[in-house]
Amino acid sequence: MSEIAAKETTKAPERAISKAPTRPRRRLIASRLVPYLLLQALIVIATLLGLRLLQPSDPDEFALSGFSMRQDGVTHPVTLPHFTTSRNSLDDPPLYTGTFTFRRGDAASGWSVYLPRFSNAVEVAIDGVVVLDSRRDANANRPDRNTPQIAAIPSSLLREGANEITVRLFVWGPLKGFLDTVYVGPDAALRPAYETRTLLFVTLPVVFSAWQSILAVILAIMWLMRRREPVYGVLAAAMVIGVVQAYVPPPVPPAAASRLAAVLLASAPTESALVVMFGVLFFGWRWPRSGALLFVPGIVVFVVGLIGGPPLPRILFLVLGIPTVGLCLLLMAWVTTIAVVRRQDAASFTIGCAVTIVLVCWIQDMLTVLELVNNDRIFVSRLSYSAMLVAIGAGLTWRFARALNQVDSFAGQLVTRVREAEERLKASFVREEERARAAALANERTRLMRDLHDGLGGQLVSIVALSERGHEGATITDAARAALKDLRLVIDSMDDIGGDLMLALGSWRERASAQLRPHDITLDWRVATVQGLPLHPELRPWHVIQIVRILDEAVTNAVKHAQARHIAVTIETFDASEGPCGLISVTDDGRGFAPAGHGEAGRTGQTARGLRNMRNRAARCGAVLDLRSDASGTRVRLQLPQRFPDSDAAAG
Amino acid sequence: MTEQGETGEIITILLVEDDAPTCWRLQDALVKAGYEVRSAGTLGEARSALAAGAPRVLLTDLRLPDGHGIELIRETRQRFPDTEIMVISALGDEESVISAITVGATGYLLKDAFPTDIATTVRDLVAGHSPISASIARFIVRRTQGAAQSSAEPPPGPALNTARLTPREIDILWGIAKGFSYAEIASHLGLSKQTVPGHIKNIYRKLEVHTRSEAVFEAVQQGLIKL
Repeated sequence: MSEIAAKETTKAPERAISKAPTRPRRRLIASRLVPYLLLQALIVIATLLGLRLLQPSDPDEFALSGFSMRQDGVTHPVTLPHFTTSRNSLDDPPLYTGTFTFRRGDAASGWSVYLPRFSNAVEVAIDGVVVLDSRRDANANRPDRNTPQIAAIPSSLLREGANEITVRLFVWGPLKGFLDTVYVGPDAALRPAYETRTLLFVTLPVVFSAWQSILAVILAIMWLMRRREPVYGVLAAAMVIGVVQAYVPPPVPPAAASRLAAVLLASAPTESALVVMFGVLFFGWRWPRSGALLFVPGIVVFVVGLIGGPPLPRILFLVLGIPTVGLCLLLMAWVTTIAVVRRQDAASFTIGCAVTIVLVCWIQDMLTVLELVNNDRIFVSRLSYSAMLVAIGAGLTWRFARALNQVDSFAGQLVTRVREAEERLKASFVREEERARAAALANERTRLMRDLHDGLGGQLVSIVALSERGHEGATITDAARAALKDLRLVIDSMDDIGGDLMLALGSWRERASAQLRPHDITLDWRVATVQGLPLHPELRPWHVIQIVRILDEAVTNAVKHAQARHIAVTIETFDASEGPCGLISVTDDGRGFAPAGHGEAGRTGQTARGLRNMRNRAARCGAVLDLRSDASGTRVRLQLPQRFPDSDAAAG
Repeated sequence: MTEQGETGEIITILLVEDDAPTCWRLQDALVKAGYEVRSAGTLGEARSALAAGAPRVLLTDLRLPDGHGIELIRETRQRFPDTEIMVISALGDEESVISAITVGATGYLLKDAFPTDIATTVRDLVAGHSPISASIARFIVRRTQGAAQSSAEPPPGPALNTARLTPREIDILWGIAKGFSYAEIASHLGLSKQTVPGHIKNIYRKLEVHTRSEAVFEAVQQGLIKL
């Protein structure tokens, strides 16, 4: 599809480049790479600015920063935000104690306690009564979610003047515990800040994840329908993992938790490896066999986590998973950079910029973890990564739709071309038909010409000759009569008799009778079978002409040369080996004639020519002529073929 | 020798033929056979001859210098129903003969027929026998089949109303088309030999177009007249 097309377009310049000297190639790469890198630098700056803007502002007049912290039996004053030093202190979590002043006169509405950021879980008590325990909300305890918490303080708890607030911080590592500034004040003043954070760090990720799950379904369907393109399947898998990770509720220690859920939360390395694979495939390259190594950290986290159980997955994720994610991001950045240099298309630019944004966020998170920058422990890489996946998915869907459009227009072109081809075919078919018709007409004309030449033409010439020499009477009459008879024969044979030779013989009988009547010769007509002769669907007019002429010749011989008084025509059908076979006999009671070579000199020439003509005609239509003659009469037997030949093979 | 009809009158013939030698030839043959022959060379002459009185037999060519013989046949059939009408044809081609039959002709005569055959044909006609050839019988039967098999393409040539023909008449036509004699046909069909010519005359009458509008329609159909 478009990948292939893209491959073709990239190959052409590549080939051209490989032939060209190295220097122009370098120059070309530089001319493409430098603007791209500059663009990425701009994006890095823009991202950093964006992250700065993302930092929500909290109502500072209600901030409580001065606390005393008791940990491991030691109490000392701290200033929030504060990182704990210990890493695993679930049994004896650090306890922060502070005071705030409440004046009933100020309280138009109820008061609340608001915690913008903490890890991993908090239990807040006012004057010794617990008002908030975030362990009940599993999602609030995920370090990557930056979830804020707010809790209303029942007014019965609040005393006029100083009140005590205690915050118990539960940390289950491997990161250090963190507690941001705590806010206590009127609910109306605190809630907008809380809602801003909820929108940014809770609602927005859920929206992204929902979007991602829809794209996962779309891509999975695409992959199912187009198995040849694993690129969709790979991205769908990556998105499914991301969605599962977003929605699986994390287990909260020390509660008994599903190991699988714990492991799934550490699936980021697998997900990022899949994204790299997608990038490689998307830009039309082969996925190298060594690429499987990229999946190893993810599998190690998975397997070890399943065997060992918490907190192993978390630790492994920290030491193995997060660097893998970084490595994958760097690989992806590398892949997209190459793609940008080679392809210079919108897709590679878009993905490259997205990768840069995620990479910046990831570095920012790393710096946060290592406490090199202070941004109150707000992690942004998961958020930016979801956004990037959504962008990629949308781009891919857009590309797919465009490819479908191309296919559509291609199909449209095909339809047009097929129609054109059909038109041409139709035209050529018409031409072919016309040619065939013309050829058949020409053949028919040739045969008709030959017959008219043999008969009518010769007779008319003879009439002309006779009348020019002043002949009168019988000779001219005979010639003219013969000409008319011939004309009738030709016209009659052109009629469609539907393969029934009997119909042609019926007309011939009339003509022969009329011819014989003045000579006082009787024509005895015997049809041995009711049906007469077998039907021959292949019978053509020129076959009919040949047969009728043979019979004419036989009758003319009987009248002119044999002085017969009686002529019998017998029509019968006998059963030959391959089916019924027609037989026509003309028998006369004349004095016969000697076959060629033995006859009287005066007559032999003409008779011999007549006999040769008869045999030729019989051969032309595949019939067998048998002629016997002696003093008691002559018998001409014409055995018709089973099937009349198509072509006039014996013509000559 | 004088040919006389059943009533004993001399049989009068009006011969309409524009080719003089052919006209002489036919006239000679008929006069020799004892008929009283009047001849006309054009449609106009034929009409004035008819105005003088009805002949017993009208023999007419189709292509005349001032019109078509079909018109003459139709007029004669309408004005003198008792006159026998025969068309003279050079080749006996089915189309011209059938066209003549549909307007009232009951027979045809070949221009080159032997003199004895000419006389015999006219005598048979007057005796109530209509001559028919194998090819004309074939033509009529083919039309009957064409009307029966409406799906098949009708064969070319003039349309013909063959719906009124009986199966027996069609059998007779088949026999003629295949060259059987009247006697053979009669024995095949179990008829007396004398009834076959009567059947043929009936066939001719049935093919004739009766009403005036039908005649016009047929004439238009056959391209004989143009509206």
